[in-house]
Amino acid sequence: MRSRCSSAVDTSNEFVRAGLRRANYITNERVETAIFLALALEKPLLIEGPAGSGKTEVAKVIAEMLGTELIRLQCYEGLDEARALYEWNYQKQLLRLQADEHQGARWEDISEHLFSREYLLERPLLKAISAPRKVVLLIDEIDKADEEFEAFLLELLSDFQVTVPELGTLRAVEIPVVVLTSNRVRELSEALRRRCLHLFIDFPGAEQERRIVQLKVPGLDERLATEAARFVGAVRKQGLKKPPSIAETLDWARALQRLGIKELNSDAIKSTLGVLLKHEDDRAKIESKAGALSGRGR
Amino acid sequence: MTTLRDELLRFVNQLRGAGVRVSIAETLDAMNAIIAAGLDRTPMREALAATLIKDEDDRHIFDELFAIFFAGARNPTDDGWRKPGSESSIAPGSGRIESESIRSVRKDKKPEPSSVSAESEPREQSKTESEQESEEHRERETEREDSERDENRSDNGSEESRTAGEEPDAAPASGHDARRRKIERTPFEDYSDLEFDKARDALAPIARRFRVRLGRRLRMASSGRLDFRRTIRASIQRGGALSDLRFRARRPRHIDLVILADISGSVRYSSTLMLELIAGAANFFRRVRSFVFIDRLAEAEFEQKHLIMTPQLDLYARSDFGRVLGELWERRGELLNRATVLVIMGDGRNNRRPARADLLREMGRLCRTVIWLIPEERERWGSGDSAIFQYAREVAALVPSRNLRELEGALVKLA
Repeated sequence: MRSRCSSAVDTSNEFVRAGLRRANYITNERVETAIFLALALEKPLLIEGPAGSGKTEVAKVIAEMLGTELIRLQCYEGLDEARALYEWNYQKQLLRLQADEHQGARWEDISEHLFSREYLLERPLLKAISAPRKVVLLIDEIDKADEEFEAFLLELLSDFQVTVPELGTLRAVEIPVVVLTSNRVRELSEALRRRCLHLFIDFPGAEQERRIVQLKVPGLDERLATEAARFVGAVRKQGLKKPPSIAETLDWARALQRLGIKELNSDAIKSTLGVLLKHEDDRAKIESKAGALSGRGR
Repeated sequence: MTTLRDELLRFVNQLRGAGVRVSIAETLDAMNAIIAAGLDRTPMREALAATLIKDEDDRHIFDELFAIFFAGARNPTDDGWRKPGSESSIAPGSGRIESESIRSVRKDKKPEPSSVSAESEPREQSKTESEQESEEHRERETEREDSERDENRSDNGSEESRTAGEEPDAAPASGHDARRRKIERTPFEDYSDLEFDKARDALAPIARRFRVRLGRRLRMASSGRLDFRRTIRASIQRGGALSDLRFRARRPRHIDLVILADISGSVRYSSTLMLELIAGAANFFRRVRSFVFIDRLAEAEFEQKHLIMTPQLDLYARSDFGRVLGELWERRGELLNRATVLVIMGDGRNNRRPARADLLREMGRLCRTVIWLIPEERERWGSGDSAIFQYAREVAALVPSRNLRELEGALVKLA
């Protein structure tokens, strides 16, 4: 048991904490521990949570923390191995064949060459496996992919190897840090869950959102940041079609700053609400309550 | 002497006892995770949670058990975002596992009959002892849990007062998902207008999932005729070699859907939701004809995906299935053929009017199949003025659809 842990990169909880701070990522102990474990145990990390709560960001931050490349695979319905793993570069193979024909090369030589790595188009998964150094592999929105694809991922996630019929089984040189995200459009299989560490990320509370806003939008008045964060927190509790994400909070804060708004009254909110809410119904709902939610005009 | 391993195994067993599914591999992961994360309370709790709990819905069970099991834990529900400098707020020692205190809790606890086999001899003895005592201890146990819960509550209270003036860092939108799940399981019979609005709001993601499931079922009967155009297009990538044959997705069969939905008071919620779900997935069928009825038949009309009430219907009328079946029978030439799947949603409460189940039988001969969805609780089927059992004899299937979840499951099977 111990050997597996010690073979991992030199990480500790403090390393993760410091790394997150360096990467300007404000979070809680839950996220820290999960990231640390993903690094220490070299297991894939499955992140669930509402859209816009910063799931994808975790992968980016890990990449930044380790100073390594982020390889991203965006999942969608109908995603297949050819798009995710590898494909043969057929045009190049054809050209090679024609060139060799002219030189009168023997078939044995040609065929040996035709199915070599040179003619392999690496797609994200193969790229992550064959990278010479540790990379971060982000498999985004796995719930959008088909169940077949999920099953196909199992070999990769448990053994970090893939099989290419012409080349044999390729083992990971350095086990990549794998991060999967899901919005729970459909339930993931038990088999996949078993192989992953699990992390649920929710929207931050008002205080943490204020810190995020102040960090990412420097120069914003502290009082305004506090009010904005509290307003967004209140808006999210209104049962909207699409609650505002953290990124939208930041956009909104920037908008407030650019417009030179000093005080978050209902006029200011109404004129900028389009940055925060992207559904007409939501907008109408919040507009009517703007005064009450901002804690003014009561 | 209890080891950490034994404690962990017992903890896992408790989790399983509480209905959380934990595999052996996950238990090993948990072991590794503790070794890596150390025994400080919070990292250890999160490490165990990350490895053992794979569904956020189970998290509260975990938190409760963790608090009871590892007695040092005082504030199990504190998953608020870390405040600056809070790492140091755990007093040294208080976060460690204190096996003494665990033992005292364990003594109070009723032993699990299906305990792990890897237990040592003395442990077994103490268990039988506590088994004897368990009766009298059970009371104390509940007392203790109560007091512990109180403790937590007061702890949370102080947490809030500490951050006075701020919003407590409650999780606002774990709600979002949980709300959807909840409304999916709420029986239609318990709906009020409020629940109905909630269900309609939650319908978009459900409809999306429904389409995915429906599409997958239809696709499973893989490929039909060669799709010449797509094959040629694919071959261009291959330098003109027809190596990649593309096939037209075969609709395994053409389905003409005819839906009759009772929208009288008792079942209007379920009917509306069904019609809207189907309307969103109409492209999976060759033809969809949706009808609503109370005592007469009327074509369903939609506006921006929402069913609107047709003026032809008298909303204060009482359901008359027999007459509606008669009206449908008159239009059979236009509506019913061998590809038709007739779906009827209703509770069969016919207000003691003629049921005309014979018409249903005749229609069953004309159609591919007839399915009846019933939103009522099973115990009440056939009670009072319900003619459902007369109809049940004439349809291919009587499918209970008491809540959104069951309804979706029933509709997926149409494909």
